[in-house]
Amino acid sequence: MRSCFSILCVAAWLLMLNDPARAADDYKIGPDSMVQDGVPQGTVTKHAWKSEKVFPGTERDYWVYVPKQYDGSQPAAVMVFQDGGGYVDAQRDFRATVVFDNLIHKHEMPATIGIFINPGVIPAAGPDQKPRQNRSFEYDSLGDQYARFLLEEILPEVGKQYKLTDDPERRAICGISSGGICAWTVAWERPDAFRKVLSHVGSFTNIRGGHVYPSLIRKTEQKPIRAFLQEGSNDLDNLHGSWPLANQEMAAALKFSKYDYRFEYGDGVHNGKHGGAILPESLRWLWRDDKATAALATP
Amino acid sequence: MFRAALAAGFLLPAFGSFAGAQDLSLATVLIDGENWQLVADGYQFTEGPAVDQEGQVYFSDIPASRIYKIDLEGKVSLFADATANTNGLMFGPDGLLYGCRNGEKQIATYDSQAKVQIVADEVSSNDLVVLGDGGLYFSDPTGGRVWYVSPEHKKRIVAEGLRPNGVILWPDQGTLVITEAIEPVLWTFRVEPDGSLTGKDRYYGPLQMLPGSERTGADGMTVDAVGRLYVTTRVGLQMFDPIGRLGGTIARPHSGPLANVCFGGPNLDTLYVTAGDKVFKRRTQARGVRYAKTKANSP
Repeated sequence: MRSCFSILCVAAWLLMLNDPARAADDYKIGPDSMVQDGVPQGTVTKHAWKSEKVFPGTERDYWVYVPKQYDGSQPAAVMVFQDGGGYVDAQRDFRATVVFDNLIHKHEMPATIGIFINPGVIPAAGPDQKPRQNRSFEYDSLGDQYARFLLEEILPEVGKQYKLTDDPERRAICGISSGGICAWTVAWERPDAFRKVLSHVGSFTNIRGGHVYPSLIRKTEQKPIRAFLQEGSNDLDNLHGSWPLANQEMAAALKFSKYDYRFEYGDGVHNGKHGGAILPESLRWLWRDDKATAALATP
Repeated sequence: MFRAALAAGFLLPAFGSFAGAQDLSLATVLIDGENWQLVADGYQFTEGPAVDQEGQVYFSDIPASRIYKIDLEGKVSLFADATANTNGLMFGPDGLLYGCRNGEKQIATYDSQAKVQIVADEVSSNDLVVLGDGGLYFSDPTGGRVWYVSPEHKKRIVAEGLRPNGVILWPDQGTLVITEAIEPVLWTFRVEPDGSLTGKDRYYGPLQMLPGSERTGADGMTVDAVGRLYVTTRVGLQMFDPIGRLGGTIARPHSGPLANVCFGGPNLDTLYVTAGDKVFKRRTQARGVRYAKTKANSP
């Protein structure tokens, strides 16, 4: 009896080792996410923004990455990042500016100005009071409010200093978790302004009604959006929904409605490891047919 | 646990974990086996539940112009008669019961003998919230505005162009929340040291609605010590977390409307809802708040 039990234990242990649903989450960044000798490095500047109009009373930081190759002669492609402070950090999962340096240098994406924006906070008025954290409101809400924030406040402000494209095919937007559904919402609401979406463990769940997107995508005339979705089988399952199921629903709906999409489904949890490891490949795929880049690559 | 949830969900851009999203479901509020209990029955229309220092709950019967008291044993007795259709009630830091005496267009206090003192007049009102410094906000649905009455009893309009009904403050009194009649959201403002309101936005939402309904029927609200907000609506008592996301809807105690809610009982852990001709109560894991003097509103 006891030996039976031991055998069962060993069998269970072996099964666990082979169970693909168990998180390995052992994604590693590659050379395209590391600083390389001889590759020109862009500049990153930090800014603060106080919204008076679209998110009144909110304050936030944002960072602007300008590639070395930008000379102001032509409008630059634009990529916006939610939770910008994380994506711009060269020591964290994504190292987006390092990846930009490397891919731009290899003509695998256009010379793109990156705008890395943190979510807003309404600071407390009093010393023993709490600020209002606006992240969920800004990112999880359906509707065009965040898109308007970008188009009416942030892009015009950055555009004062740099020549930014107004070609929606050359404007991309990226985010993680609630920032991921936010990226989709911006393009969904304003495909005239943004047509490239990159979502990492996107919250296509019912935090504030975002679970409806798969059905909207199936029953709405196709919009000119290209989307790259990354998700992990061990992502969240909570009161708002199941992240793995929601992302699979998104992918199925995008397939059904014949979108230009790519779905990378790994075994990770709710973090940026997988998304960070494949960021170079994601950006190559998103920007794969950019005409200006192609002209540089084949002179 | 809540602090951990805040750290996980709020400290952005910390891409480590967004699992804080999991932590504030209804399971964090409800107690297994506990349900609504009928406390009082046979009134015309109950409103304005308010808790005193001992935990006794007062409520108004608006058409009957009466205020009743539910003592700690659950016995209901008449507290005040001929109340000029007093609606919303709340105890102030001075131990007085503040009420919306809309039949005489007054905001007034009732002392322990139900003696009336006028705080503001020539104003229509529905609901009010009293700050720890003795100032107060009240809603004026007829005028489509929110008023502030200073501790010196000077009144002024602080928000206009909305249809306010319920009005409540965060536990730290730095943020004011107002119900919205048309859209399924709650309006949220920052409370400035002089009582002014800034940073208006639809922070809480979307609220659930009955199928086929165009209105939420959002009415009275209360908050608990960790910052969850409870709002009475047609579908039930909807609970929101501190970052504005619906945590869940607590079932209605009866098929009729819910008008208002407060925490009562000696431990402030029991929800009291006024519901048509009745009042119900339900014990929870949560604790209500009494607004204290803060550094922000101390002179």
